Amino acid sequence: MSVLRVENITMQFGGVVAINNLSMEINKGEIVALIGPNGAGKTTAFNCITGVYEPTNGADYFNDSPIAINHPTGKMAKTYAGINADQYVGKHLHMTPDKITKLGIARTFQNIRLFKSMTAFENVLIGTHLRRTSNPFSATFRLNMREEKKLRAHAMDMLEVVGLADLADEKATSLPYGKQRRLEIARALATDPKLLLLDEPAAGMNPQETDDLGVFIRDIKDRFDLTVFLIEHHMNLVMDISDRIYVIDFGKQIAEGVPAEIRDNPAVIAAYLGVDEE
Amino acid sequence: MAKKNSKNWLLIPIIALIYLLVFVAEKVAGTSSMLVTVLEKGAIYALIAVSLNLLNGFTGLFSLGQAGFMLVGAYTYAVLTIPMAKRAAVYQYYNGGCITFTVPFIIAIILGGLLAAAFAALIGFPVLRLKSDYLAIATLGFAEIARALVQFDGLGPITNGSNLLKTYPTYKTVMFPFCAAGICIAIILLLIHSTYGRAFKAIRDDEIAAEAMGINLFRHKELSFVISSFFAGVGGALLAMYQGTLQANAFKSSMTYEILLIVVIGGMGSVSGSVIASFLFIACSEWWLRFLDAEQFIWGIKVPLLRSGFRMVVFAVVIMLIVLFYSRGIMGDREISIDRIIKKFSKKKGATK
Ligand SMILES: Nc1ncnc2c1ncn2[C@@H]1O[C@H](COP(=O)(O)OP(=O)(O)OP(=O)(O)O)[C@@H](O)[C@H]1O
Ligand SMILES: [Mg+2]
Repeated sequence: MSVLRVENITMQFGGVVAINNLSMEINKGEIVALIGPNGAGKTTAFNCITGVYEPTNGADYFNDSPIAINHPTGKMAKTYAGINADQYVGKHLHMTPDKITKLGIARTFQNIRLFKSMTAFENVLIGTHLRRTSNPFSATFRLNMREEKKLRAHAMDMLEVVGLADLADEKATSLPYGKQRRLEIARALATDPKLLLLDEPAAGMNPQETDDLGVFIRDIKDRFDLTVFLIEHHMNLVMDISDRIYVIDFGKQIAEGVPAEIRDNPAVIAAYLGVDEE
Repeated sequence: MAKKNSKNWLLIPIIALIYLLVFVAEKVAGTSSMLVTVLEKGAIYALIAVSLNLLNGFTGLFSLGQAGFMLVGAYTYAVLTIPMAKRAAVYQYYNGGCITFTVPFIIAIILGGLLAAAFAALIGFPVLRLKSDYLAIATLGFAEIARALVQFDGLGPITNGSNLLKTYPTYKTVMFPFCAAGICIAIILLLIHSTYGRAFKAIRDDEIAAEAMGINLFRHKELSFVISSFFAGVGGALLAMYQGTLQANAFKSSMTYEILLIVVIGGMGSVSGSVIASFLFIACSEWWLRFLDAEQFIWGIKVPLLRSGFRMVVFAVVIMLIVLFYSRGIMGDREISIDRIIKKFSKKKGATK
């Protein structure tokens, strides 16, 4: 069963086509990687899935129900450089990122976006806000004590899962880079997702931390019954944990397959030639 | 997480002691003394500053309409409480006005807050879906329009146009504004420390991350704006009681800037900072710097510079210095904490050993 289906997505910024007619499908329980050289459009693809950007054309489905549908209109209709422009005419759907998160898609950010005034624990606690049942009145006058306790316990559990429980009261932004990335994962897990999108979770981690991360991602996938979609530059990690890999370049898919296929794919090797692997 | 062994519960008896001192001060110094006047106005401004801080400091929204919401609260209060017997005299140019009922003063204060909140909801509905900057422009416009509308002759039977509203009930003791402001500030504090307050702070820190955490930006901004305006309206009603008479002209944008200044001086994102800054600000502007306005002669020689208006010059310089050298305000974004005071103290002791 497909958890996420990306269908003919094109994302165009003015004249720049960042994503060009991209289609992908991710099945329940899989770990799928999205790789490609710098500027290939990977983060943009995530933003089109999570509602940060409204795709210029195409559709996204989560558990087979649409979460985004669009086709070029107005000024964009004239400058549109992609294809399939009339396939989605008459249909339009745009959900804000918070709605998509509520449906069960959580994400982390490539350029870490922790709440800078808050402790590690408070950052994770924010992730529990969307599952509240209290209203502003009951929350202000503390009529939701039982729920509040539950949310706090849940947040603390997630911190424990990522191994940061002993740093709960540290300021989030004072943590070392690798721990900040883990904290972002804890915060995403606190929203109770079905699908977890990780944008370069190993960036800035040392080799030891990167190895641990691979084990960790597998671990949380099993433990929380997740499907994982990740962008990553560390090829060892990608080859190690992915069930399948999508490779894009200049916003277009150039290959798809299991790690062994991708490793030997000439188109992939060509795309990465001259691009140093971090 | 609440730390164990926190000594912050000590704040409760300290606050109770402050209330007791205020009570005694009024008995000793008299209700119309300068001290009591400053305490009254300081308490009311503290509430209004905290309400603005909820928006600016805790939610990261920039509003310039606080005077407008205060005006709505003040007028609602006055219009609904002027005794029937006195209406003919107050509304002498409008045949005694068109409102033929009064409500108890507590109800009128709350209605003042609710009407201000309703206006905020109407403004927020289109504006808070846009980029945050538009709120400043929209609220500034609202405040100006509200002031003009209240003075509009066609609304005279309700608002008395540009004439004074007076003879509405006021309070008899400084304890009233102190308790009312204290209760309101306590409610705002409870809100800030609830899951909704945490969501406000998340929006302030990073909108994109907050939205990715499932926080509906529009709904939470609207909530913060409406609650902030409610308390600004209540503050306006209290200010009407403090003044005893009411005229729309007093609610100019300079009043909003005054409150904004208090928030900045106290520290964006610090409730205790706003409260402390309010009392300091009011004390300086109304009392401590008063002597600068009076010409003085020492041994028959006129002291230079001292004359009417000089107070405001000194005041402006003091504020400029504070903003320049204390740009995060007295408290930054922290609250008063007994734990931190104890820590500082024990550190100093350790250093002298
Ligand atoms: N908001 C935007 N406005 C204009 N251009 C954009 C915008 N966002 C992305 N782009 C462009 O889209 C292209 C793809 O960017 P994207 O960030 O998706 O690449 P990436 O594959 O994530 O790269 P990296 O590996 O460096 O993270 C780039 O050329 C970028 O300049
Ligand atoms: Mg990227």
